[in-house]
Amino acid sequence: MISFNVIRWIVWKDFVTELRSRETISSMVFFALIVILIFSFSFSMDQQAAREVIAGIMWVAFAFTGIIGLGKSFSTELQNDCLEALQMVPEAKGAIYLGKVAANFAFMFVVEILLFPMFVILFNLEVVEEISLLLLVFFLATVGLSAIGTLFSALTVQIRAREVMLPILLLPLVVPVMIAAVEATKGALNGDPPALYEQWLELLAIYDVVFTVVSFWMFEFVMDS
Amino acid sequence: MTNFYIRWGGVCIVAIVLIVLTYNHYRDNLASLAPQQVKQEAPAGEVRVLGMVQGGTLETRAAGEATFSLLGESVSLPVHYEGPPPDNLRELKILVLIGTWTADTQVFEARDIGIVPNYGFIAGAYLLGLLPLALLLFAMTRRVSLLYEEIKASKLYEEE
Amino acid sequence: MTIHRVIRKVQRFEGWFGGGAALCLIAGLYVGLIGSPPDYYQGEVVRIMYIHVPLAHTSLLGYTVLAVGSLWYLWKRDPIVDNMCQAVAALSAVFTALALGTGMIWGKPTWDTWWTWDARLTSFTVLLLILIGYLMLRTFVDDPEKEARYGAILAIVGFVDLPIIHFSVEWWRTLHQPQSISMRGVSISSGLLVPLLLMSVGMSLLFSYMLMVRTQLLYLDRLLHAKKGRLLSQFHLSKSDS
Repeated sequence: MISFNVIRWIVWKDFVTELRSRETISSMVFFALIVILIFSFSFSMDQQAAREVIAGIMWVAFAFTGIIGLGKSFSTELQNDCLEALQMVPEAKGAIYLGKVAANFAFMFVVEILLFPMFVILFNLEVVEEISLLLLVFFLATVGLSAIGTLFSALTVQIRAREVMLPILLLPLVVPVMIAAVEATKGALNGDPPALYEQWLELLAIYDVVFTVVSFWMFEFVMDS
Repeated sequence: MTNFYIRWGGVCIVAIVLIVLTYNHYRDNLASLAPQQVKQEAPAGEVRVLGMVQGGTLETRAAGEATFSLLGESVSLPVHYEGPPPDNLRELKILVLIGTWTADTQVFEARDIGIVPNYGFIAGAYLLGLLPLALLLFAMTRRVSLLYEEIKASKLYEEE
Repeated sequence: MTIHRVIRKVQRFEGWFGGGAALCLIAGLYVGLIGSPPDYYQGEVVRIMYIHVPLAHTSLLGYTVLAVGSLWYLWKRDPIVDNMCQAVAALSAVFTALALGTGMIWGKPTWDTWWTWDARLTSFTVLLLILIGYLMLRTFVDDPEKEARYGAILAIVGFVDLPIIHFSVEWWRTLHQPQSISMRGVSISSGLLVPLLLMSVGMSLLFSYMLMVRTQLLYLDRLLHAKKGRLLSQFHLSKSDS
């Protein structure tokens, strides 16, 4: 049985660490800002061109910042042998996974919410009506990224060259999330009728369910010691 | 190890035989003359000529009959085509004509149009597909036999 | 350990697999290159299909074997199954790369381009990336048990992901280029089927044979390693005794 206590404590622990050190979210936000800056230098865009590529730029920035956050999620546990302590939790390991997914999801979602106004201002976007649909896209895609990302964060933390291996292993596997998120965001930003892109939302939902279940199951084997 | 090399020798021989058979089969399709060669050498019998249909010279008379000039590097060759209705006879198209050169009228009597051979792609694909596999398999089997010998040679051998 | 008995039994027929592969491939090459007529639409270039499609099929077959083996490993923790997984991953990566290469060579004369973001080409590229990631991951772990476990986890997650990747890429393609050039235009007539079938069977047999050889190689490597370690420790023991 999954203990909700364990989930709650893990989330609480990560939040408190983050509140005290402010390391993860601040580094994610600044990295994303730099990515946005580089992109706006590389493509000189008017508003029309921005509409075409902005969804792609947005999700590239979100994915890279997400990877920074995910990498930190377990590498901070290496200090003071916290990882061994986590492995010794007598409850089912799935609880640790769910707690970590919740914490990672919260960090990534907060960063995305903080960054989105920057995109709106810097690229002169007009978003009025579609904001709830966009939030749904952000929510679904971030759940997918954090569900599979947390598993691979735990998997790569104990190997050599982990900073390199996490994106190398993760990015091919999240290709569907990236495609679906970019297409749905593009549809929402262009103000298309939702019927045109709801298939992408369905794909994201399916991906979320499938990979939460698979990663939850596989996490037992990662933490197995 | 001798058995191993004998087996791979057999594989090599089979491969060579296959290559030779294939090459012989396609040799007829590979050889083709240029229009200037036809004019100079005036070959007797049936030949294949490779060239481009010159722009503005194509005149179709009936479904399977046409006249045009076939352009080589410098010389162009008057052609009278009579045969099965062609699919790919267009101006500025590069093609291979099969027919005979009549020296009296200075007209090439073509009876069929062949496809321009692009066997390079096919040969490349088969080489790319099979050669690395063969090399990999050779390296692996060789390593396995060497490992067997090394394990047998090292002392303290216990059957597991 | 029943799996050992099964492997030993199959290993006894190793030569049959190799011989069968050689026979099928020779027959398939002969029929494909010499015995069969050129295709009506594609001309001679269609002969590339006889090597490209079997390579692609076989690499997918290999990935399925990898996923099943990984599940088996996580269940029973059998080192020989892990050797098999490592072998099949490397071979699948080679077959996938060759399938992509021959596909590119096929694309040049038929579509006049080396590369197109076709759904199949794209999902095969992602498959190749996952397999290379798997092999890289295995080199970066020090503990052999952990190496096997992590590899198995990645293989299973990737296997579940594969159909989703394929569908998403296909939807994405149809969205951006409705009249996309696709391989579905190739209708397979019975004349093409014989060499294709022969080559497919031959490639699958060749893959099985190579898999056996490579599994053996990795197993013997491990055995030699262990034996050297044992010799070394005995040497040290005898030193410390005297």
